[in-house]
Amino acid sequence: MRSRSARSLRSPRFLALGAALVCAAGTSVPSLGAQDIEERFPGVSLGLTYETRTLPALAIQPFSARGGGVAQATQVENIIARDLRYSDRFTVIDAIPAALASEEVDYALWDELGATWLVTGRIEGGGASAVLILELHDVVYREVAERGRFRIPETEAPGFRMSGHVASDSIVRWVFNEPGIAATRIVFSRRMEDGSQDLWVVDSDGENLRRLTSHRGGELGVPISLTPSWSPDGARVVYTSYKDEGLPRIYELDLRTGDEKQVPTPRPGDYMSPAYHPDGEFVYFAINGGGSSGLFRYNIADDCCFGSLMQGPSEDISPTFAPEGHMVAFNSNRLGAGAPQIYLMPVDASRRPEIVSPYIYGTPGYYTSPDWSPVGNRIAYHGRVERRGAHQILVAELDAQNRVRQTSQITFRGVNEDPSWAPDGRHLVHVGERDYGYGLFVTDLFTGNSRTLVSGIRPNPPAWSPPLAP
Amino acid sequence: MMYRRLLLASVVLGGLAVAACGGEPPPEPPAPEPQAAGPDLDSLRAYEDSVRAAQEAAARAAAERERAIAEAREILEQRVHFDYDESAIRPDAESVLRQKVAILRASPAVRIRLEGHADERGSVEYNQALGNRRAQSVLDFFGQQGLMAGNFQTTSFGEERPLSAGSNETAWAQNRRVEFVITAGGGSINPAQ
Repeated sequence: MRSRSARSLRSPRFLALGAALVCAAGTSVPSLGAQDIEERFPGVSLGLTYETRTLPALAIQPFSARGGGVAQATQVENIIARDLRYSDRFTVIDAIPAALASEEVDYALWDELGATWLVTGRIEGGGASAVLILELHDVVYREVAERGRFRIPETEAPGFRMSGHVASDSIVRWVFNEPGIAATRIVFSRRMEDGSQDLWVVDSDGENLRRLTSHRGGELGVPISLTPSWSPDGARVVYTSYKDEGLPRIYELDLRTGDEKQVPTPRPGDYMSPAYHPDGEFVYFAINGGGSSGLFRYNIADDCCFGSLMQGPSEDISPTFAPEGHMVAFNSNRLGAGAPQIYLMPVDASRRPEIVSPYIYGTPGYYTSPDWSPVGNRIAYHGRVERRGAHQILVAELDAQNRVRQTSQITFRGVNEDPSWAPDGRHLVHVGERDYGYGLFVTDLFTGNSRTLVSGIRPNPPAWSPPLAP
Repeated sequence: MMYRRLLLASVVLGGLAVAACGGEPPPEPPAPEPQAAGPDLDSLRAYEDSVRAAQEAAARAAAERERAIAEAREILEQRVHFDYDESAIRPDAESVLRQKVAILRASPAVRIRLEGHADERGSVEYNQALGNRRAQSVLDFFGQQGLMAGNFQTTSFGEERPLSAGSNETAWAQNRRVEFVITAGGGSINPAQ
């Protein structure tokens, strides 16, 4: 891990230009005015738990092409520039004057512009055999810090954009030694006008929105599918659907083959809210009704071993796992119907569930939809601000013993629900409702930046994928 | 058209219905007098009249029964509604459920799926569970009234199948409900005794 303090602009010649570029990159962290705050959750701090600091400036020199890959060079550069901005880790300087567009790296010039890092790219070869030579330059030490080669398909080929995203994540890893989020997708269900609901998927940068399932329903079936969840390898999605029986059942869709498996139903009841255990073999889910409710599991990899985690009169739903797989968080109304809370417990049920959400006797609140971060030991969920009002996203920071160290409210405008963590453990995708309608939004826990991922549709709970191959 | 179909049905059902409603059986046609020169037109007319009267009575009875069955089906399928984030049976719902119970007691072959629904507020998964809890409340009520739990199935669509698309209290109140879907025995509904 390397770090650079922000550097001042020293040359009057570039002062105005540099300032304009930095402003255009939009790095300012929004401050929270009192008027933004609708109501406080008990014991919950507002906003970021992290000191906002100036992001290191990263410049992107226009990519060059040798041998016909000009279109690839331009488009990959645009993909990477946007990815790095969406990483919320850099002040990205990419709108540079044509005078700087050269294959030669003029470190002095970039230094004067205030850049700490410089990215250069060159496409060698063209068409299907093009290769991107990507270099990360340390402007301070005036040297190439990292270099990578990436196969780049033709611009119309299906893997083209994803190959650019993989290159973007390499830059994040080179600088911070942490996972990026560019080479990922978000799966969710979309409510259509006719009441049907299919699974859709979109790339992390909001491009490439497309339908994953096209269920019709039948004599008994109802074409409603929802609450998808990714397998740890990103190859499969497990979800709930009414498509066959008109009753909620759990299915696994193999994204490569299109094959489908159903979790068997040896017990009566509604099968819902599935999630993979980090081992990738077991799927955990809730069964409601049919006498008793609880969390159950099934080994979907081996088609065996239907079992129960816990059963009882309360509804325990929405399981989510610590990355090591030894702890599970879930949602339960055991403290009273109408007052659901977030709990965590060992997966072997060796200890009783402990409450995560800020429950206070008398004003219990309403907290649902937990998601345990893949890194950083945090649980995101949403809470009801007022009985008939909005929901906002909360994040509980856990210590090494999985006790809640601090809980923070991280969204404030509109209605925000159903968070899902990105692989970097700092970005969340969630459903949002604004004055202009519904959409999926991405909020960064560290900078407070929020962007629209998809708008103009009515999405249901999203799930952010692990890193995906191109 | 409709009338003709009804009449046809009533003729078919005539024989059964006559016995069922305890009407007078039509008189036997008088044995023809061996010495009679021609047919006794009067007695033949009387016979035809009596048959027609019996058929009309049977048709009326069948129509009445059809109407009672249709009404019973309507009551069975009538939705009940719930308060916000609640699964307790409201008094207005209880009177509807009591009518259903009376019909179901007379109709042991009927199987019903209780489908719980929630309004759009609250989380998607929580609302799936809430809908099931509402269906379970109805099932519990039926159980307390002595109906067999095995004749029912509970499920939930959560907030995914609203009756009304609006985002206001009127729409929400409509959408918080349990629906009654007859899955078997729909042809064996008997009106309440």
